[in-house]
Amino acid sequence: MAVENKPDERFVRGPVKTYGLMELVRGRSPMVEKGPDDTVFSFPIVAILEALLALGTILVLGFFSLVRNAPLEELANPDLTTNPAKAPWYFMALQELLLHMHPVLAGIIVPGVVVLFLIILPYIDTDRSDAGRWFATPRGPKWVYFTALYTVIAQAGLIYFDEVMGLRGLGAASPLLLQFVGPIMFGVILFALPLLVVWRFKPTRRELMLVIFTIIIVSAITLTIAGFLFRGPGMHLYPPWGMPDGYNPWSSL
Amino acid sequence: MANLIDSITSSRVWKSFFRHGWPDDELNRSLVMTTNIFFHLHPVKVSRRSIRATYTWGLGVLAAILFVVLAVTGTLIMFYYVPSTELAYHNIIDLQTKVPYGQLMRNMHRWAAHGMVLIVVLHMARVFYTGAYKPPREFNWIVGVVLLLLTLGASFTGYLLPWDQLSYWAITVGTNIAGYTPLIGPKIRLMLLGGFEVGQNALTRFYALHIMVIPLLMTLLISLHLWRVRKDGGLAAQNIPERPDSRLEFQ
Repeated sequence: MAVENKPDERFVRGPVKTYGLMELVRGRSPMVEKGPDDTVFSFPIVAILEALLALGTILVLGFFSLVRNAPLEELANPDLTTNPAKAPWYFMALQELLLHMHPVLAGIIVPGVVVLFLIILPYIDTDRSDAGRWFATPRGPKWVYFTALYTVIAQAGLIYFDEVMGLRGLGAASPLLLQFVGPIMFGVILFALPLLVVWRFKPTRRELMLVIFTIIIVSAITLTIAGFLFRGPGMHLYPPWGMPDGYNPWSSL
Repeated sequence: MANLIDSITSSRVWKSFFRHGWPDDELNRSLVMTTNIFFHLHPVKVSRRSIRATYTWGLGVLAAILFVVLAVTGTLIMFYYVPSTELAYHNIIDLQTKVPYGQLMRNMHRWAAHGMVLIVVLHMARVFYTGAYKPPREFNWIVGVVLLLLTLGASFTGYLLPWDQLSYWAITVGTNIAGYTPLIGPKIRLMLLGGFEVGQNALTRFYALHIMVIPLLMTLLISLHLWRVRKDGGLAAQNIPERPDSRLEFQ
């Protein structure tokens, strides 16, 4: 029976050849249709690196656990409020925001916008040319550095300003103005200033994302540190080494 | 001695366990990765750039290691802990004072939990600053964002379990924040706590979330996360060829 090329045949006989045997070279694995690459076999190097990381982590963790105990206070007592009453440290940025603005703004809108930004980020910035490169462009590191510095100073300044001015205590002024309009205005300025500055240098979309993400993450870190280390009884600002009533901010870890 | 090792490694029993030879040549180094359930998460070959310490700082691997440490120490603690407002606090005291290495287990669980939150945030920052969220990795970035939120959830639900003043008031403050959502806020808080304040229902719910719901979801999503890293072409470090390679284009 004659063999014919049927449409569904997997190995078509005599396809148009686009390559020929050029030369024989010494090698240990087939390198068909591959360009030169800079790869190594995962075994054993990756296995060794991961084993080392695991051992190092367990050693550091074990040693730290020997010298420092996890905190345990008295039995929970719903009738005895602790002062200050703080959320776990990773929610201190939220709790710090709550001190400065309306709960809906601090607890829902701001974190909601941040999570939304993170989720849509890869759909805004889709240029693949700099994927895998730290800080994207030659001027990237400098921009991130100055944005981070600016954000720390601006956030610390805003926190201190609110504590001294006691905007929360101004009961006579309109709550809408103090708790919504004011904080939103400061927030917009916080983001707008550095963006206006970098705008003059014709940033790429990726560089704009660098600036925005840096403002967000450094703000979160600054607010967390302010709330965790610098807030004492009555959620007022104190230096961490000079807390009244013997309160130690580290004890809540 | 060499004969003995030879006869063991060429026996049928050994070969039914390990379907590859001693990994000292390229074929067996490939087989060791593809025939082992733990290694098969990795590619057979990796680019030198992606294993450079200063590229990733090993943060993703560290997060996974801490997750395993937390699962192990957490399981050990579960043998001694009852999620009851009457017993929980005294269980923790007993764990620390009467159970051999109980204090060490609790310490490691606590510090690993804080460490994991920190490492996961740093991992996200690393992925962002190296632009590793770009196509085709958009979906995996979102999985990562969800994993970050789940890590926070795992840590937060665990925070209540010792049932001391610290945990009680931290969870009261934390769930109050959730209650601020317009319209549905109070309902979310009621659902989390199973009541209007932190009590036995809250402890039961947080315990179930902490030891079962969140770890299961995380195991699932971590698997998806690692699988997608492979499917999207490994770490983004591989995608900077001197000349753009058309096979890597994603259309």
